[in-house]
Amino acid sequence: MGNKSFRQSMAWLHTWAGLLPGWLLFIIFLFGTVAFFQQEISGWMRPELAGRAVSDTALRAASRLLVAKAPGADRWIVTLPSDRGGEPLTVTWKSGTGEAAISGKAILDPTSGREIAVRDTRGGWFLYRFHFELHYIPYWLAEILVCAAALAMFVAILSGIVTHKKIFVDFFIMRFGKGQRSWLDVHNVTAVLALPFHLMITYTGLVTLLFTLMPWAISVQFPSRESYFQAAYPPGPERASQGEMIAPLSLDQVVDRAKVLQGGVAPGRIIVEHPGDVASVIQLWPSPTRIGGTSDALYLDGSTGRAMQMPPASGMATASRGVMIDLHAGRFSGPVLRWLYFLSGVGGTMMVASGLILWTVKRRTKLPDPVRPHFGFRLVERLNIGIIAGSCAGIPVYFLANRLLSLSMAHRADWEINSLFIAWGGLFVWTLARPAKRAWIEALTVCAALYALVPIINALTTARGLVPSLIAGDWAYVGFDLVMLATAAACTFTAWKVANRKAMALPRRKARVAVEAAL
Amino acid sequence: MIHATTFLLSLTGFALLLLAMARHQQDWLRRKLPPSLGNGLRLSGFAALALGFLFAGVGLGWAYGAIVWFGWLTVAAALVVTVNTNRERIVRKVQP
Repeated sequence: MGNKSFRQSMAWLHTWAGLLPGWLLFIIFLFGTVAFFQQEISGWMRPELAGRAVSDTALRAASRLLVAKAPGADRWIVTLPSDRGGEPLTVTWKSGTGEAAISGKAILDPTSGREIAVRDTRGGWFLYRFHFELHYIPYWLAEILVCAAALAMFVAILSGIVTHKKIFVDFFIMRFGKGQRSWLDVHNVTAVLALPFHLMITYTGLVTLLFTLMPWAISVQFPSRESYFQAAYPPGPERASQGEMIAPLSLDQVVDRAKVLQGGVAPGRIIVEHPGDVASVIQLWPSPTRIGGTSDALYLDGSTGRAMQMPPASGMATASRGVMIDLHAGRFSGPVLRWLYFLSGVGGTMMVASGLILWTVKRRTKLPDPVRPHFGFRLVERLNIGIIAGSCAGIPVYFLANRLLSLSMAHRADWEINSLFIAWGGLFVWTLARPAKRAWIEALTVCAALYALVPIINALTTARGLVPSLIAGDWAYVGFDLVMLATAAACTFTAWKVANRKAMALPRRKARVAVEAAL
Repeated sequence: MIHATTFLLSLTGFALLLLAMARHQQDWLRRKLPPSLGNGLRLSGFAALALGFLFAGVGLGWAYGAIVWFGWLTVAAALVVTVNTNRERIVRKVQP
């Protein structure tokens, strides 16, 4: 097999491994990129939350509330937002099992500690979950689809590197206004410039799906996956309640204790078993704010605050997997690195989109009858418009629904999500009825209008519009509105570009033939 | 500060690498530089990128710094590509 035929076979592989799962890959890249700002989006979608970082005042208020409302509960659960905010401070209590079970919940502002009403929303969490478990379809099916797409992505990247003959010669080159050549340049530049990111995010994405892709190491050694998890993550110390009650430790003391024991790492979740009992045990689960940080709990004696069990040091394999998953999710990153992650993600999304469009651009000139293209061509063209422009229009509708749906609506969070897909589906159907070029222009114009509407509706429905946020120095809100406006501008620019694109000039030889024939 | 330094070093590095290529020398300088000068530019370009890695690693820790470095590399390269793509427009502005 010669060098040339190897490259050709790789080009074939690249085309089809990229095209067939391409639309799913676009969705994964788009929503995954958005999910780097999951907490900031959640914060924007819960405008009732004034505070961000958890204060000692709020923790003391949570303790008082739990002691007052659920002194004899079997278990208290406290969920703490990270310093990036987006989540309220939630306290839950549970007693009994089965039909006799009693439970309750209260939502507090993480800084002031006051009980507040927060609108029912899934926030940025949904956008993050959607990028790997999709929606409306069973989890196992989504898992198979996403695994297949991720594998194909990895194959497409590697075969793409082989296919791209001039990675270094063409490194800095992008030629506009040249039809197919330009699309290839955009595809190459977005792929090559962020290649380390693409390789990393795809490979570590596969690692997050490890147990689905390669279940055999577990299935050979354990009767079920549950028994593996039992063995790999054994339950911590447990104690039966003794019935002798004392005043429970205040939550702010518990958090301070955990920070001292774990070098400043704040817990993301606190579970108090048998609160108030002398045999009470407190579990502190970390929030993933450090690369390669532990994901195991710290156990404290609930009456004295002494450490009962420190998180065990993980083995090499678990530690490697942990680092790769951290690297994928980027939760450890500070604001600057988060933006870098986001920009590379935008590059990846553009790479997938330009690859999909390139497939049609490359074949359009070779169509036997350009007026009536064959079915495969039309299918790809329609899916490109409906999914690339459609999903881009769904996201701002999700944000608009968050501001416009009635706060007392039943299943409100579900309807926010439904709104996203109704808008997407509606736009998809609309574009089907229009000629391809008009469909692109109209869909992109709709996208631009929807993104531009988000800051406007935000300013009209909350007291946290762009100007007040600027004055208050609330950079998460300012950033959110500005990104919406920038996206609107980008959609407008693209729509304008498509509208002003001249019909492709005939290739030179064909043009000469035409001129000669005319003479 | 470390972010800015890493970014500027990456930007310098890619600009030097661009100028080390005969094709871009023709575009930007309207002449080809002698090969020894081109090699020098290439070498200093890679040196600037390596220096960026050093700064990021020492300043932010090697694990975190390495990720940051890759991020800035992408941004810097994208900027150089944007400038190179709009060369005619820029040249017209500079020398009307």
